[in-house]
Order: sequence, then C-alpha cells, then structure tokens
Amino acid sequence: MFALPTAVMHASNPSGPELRLTLKSQLADLTLVWSWVEALAAHHSLSAETQFAIQLCLQEALSNVIRHGYSGQADQPITVECASTSRGEIIFVVEDHAPPFDPLAHPHAGQAPAPASIAELEPGGQGIRLMRGFAHRAAYQRLPNGNRLTLAFTLPH
Amino acid sequence: MQISTDEMPGGITRVALDGRMDIAGAAVVDLKMNLIAGSAKKLLIDLQKVDFLGSMGLRSIVLPARAVNSRGGKVVLFAPNAMVESVLKTSGIDSLLPIHRDLDAAVAALA
Repeated sequence: MFALPTAVMHASNPSGPELRLTLKSQLADLTLVWSWVEALAAHHSLSAETQFAIQLCLQEALSNVIRHGYSGQADQPITVECASTSRGEIIFVVEDHAPPFDPLAHPHAGQAPAPASIAELEPGGQGIRLMRGFAHRAAYQRLPNGNRLTLAFTLPH
Repeated sequence: MQISTDEMPGGITRVALDGRMDIAGAAVVDLKMNLIAGSAKKLLIDLQKVDFLGSMGLRSIVLPARAVNSRGGKVVLFAPNAMVESVLKTSGIDSLLPIHRDLDAAVAALA
C-alpha cells in the first residue's frame, strides 16, 4: 500500500495536458483514455513500452470497474488522476463509487498458476494478471464510499 | 480494427488482424473469428499489425483457438510486436499457443 503524494496532485496543469479524466461507467468511454494517455505520454516523453503498459493497465482497471464494480450499471462516475512523483514514477489513481471491490485480491491477481492447457484457460480472467504484470506497483484502498486503485509506472531516467 | 483472411497452401487459413485489440476491437472481430474457427483446421493468426492487445483481445484469440483445437486442429500465432508478445507471455498463452516470427516456421508448425 502506498499513499498518493498530495503535494504533486493538481486538478489542472497549465503547461500540459489535463491531469484528471472523468468517465461514466460505460465501455464506450474507454476510448477517451487513449487520447488522454497519448497526450500525457508526449508531455512526459514516455517510451512506447511505458505508454503501452499504462494504456493496458488503465483499460483493464476501468473495464473491471465498469463490468464488475458497477455491475454494468451505466452513468456512474469514475475518475482517473495522473501525477508524477519525486520517486521517478508516474502514477494513476482510479476512483469510483462502486461497492467494495478489490481487484488485487481476486484469484486471478497474478498468483494463480498459468493454465496447463488451452481448454483450462479461463478467457475472461486475464485482466488482473496483466495489470499485475505491467504496472510496477499496484495498490488498492477501500474508500468510505468507493474504491481507489493506484497504479505506478517507473519513468525513464 | 480490421480482419482479413486468405487461404494458404496446405489447407492453412491465415487470419490477419490489424489495429487495436481492446474491448472495441475485440467486438469488431469476434463474430468473424468465431466463424473462421468453426471450419478452419489449421489456423495462422497473423498479429503483425496488432499494436495493442488487452484481455478482451486475448479472449478473441483464445476462444477461437480453443474451438479449432477441440476439433483436432492446430493454431499458431505469427509475428506479434514486442509489447503484444509480452502480453501473450504474461498471460501464459504463449505456452499453449506457439508464437512464430518466421512464416516458414509457422507454416511448418501447422503441418
């Protein structure tokens, strides 16, 4: 578990892209994430690999919130905040108002052994494994009225 | 997201995917992938032009591959870029569906 350093959080950033993205809980809104992350990646001169990892983790995290956290209920709020830290990381904080849902505690959170055959492979169970694999750190926090998932990625030196 | 198919010598069906295999991309290709999987015996899934692969995109590969395998057929993945390959490896799918970078090797694996 690690806390978001509030000193580096800004709701807006006059010299670069917006640091906060607000979505509704519908899969169509996931398209908004692409261009937002592209703008942030350009601003921070992120490598293609880091940008890919961020896109992947956010797509998985947000689709989890939409499909499982809100159980497909549309028009519920989700926010994503971006901040860079003095530890040389870029972090993304996903918050929702859904019932308690800790994706990192899910059986597919990366600890489960890889399937032995394609017949055993659970096709829907890969998102959390991918988040675990592509984020440098991931932490969950239950909020009084929602959930917070923090994903950290190391910036190139 | 685009999907195209062609028949190669040796009864191989080559499915070329092009674009972003996210939730939206997966929705575009799912029906056609399932139709192809319903008849193909040797399936080469060409990932050269796939620039993103998420869990729903994986599903769009795994379910048709499972269908082909269950009928005694074979499936190989061809030429994913480095990041797409890392998704395949992180998910463990690379140990179930062989990945080839060389077309001749991919074809040989389907023989």
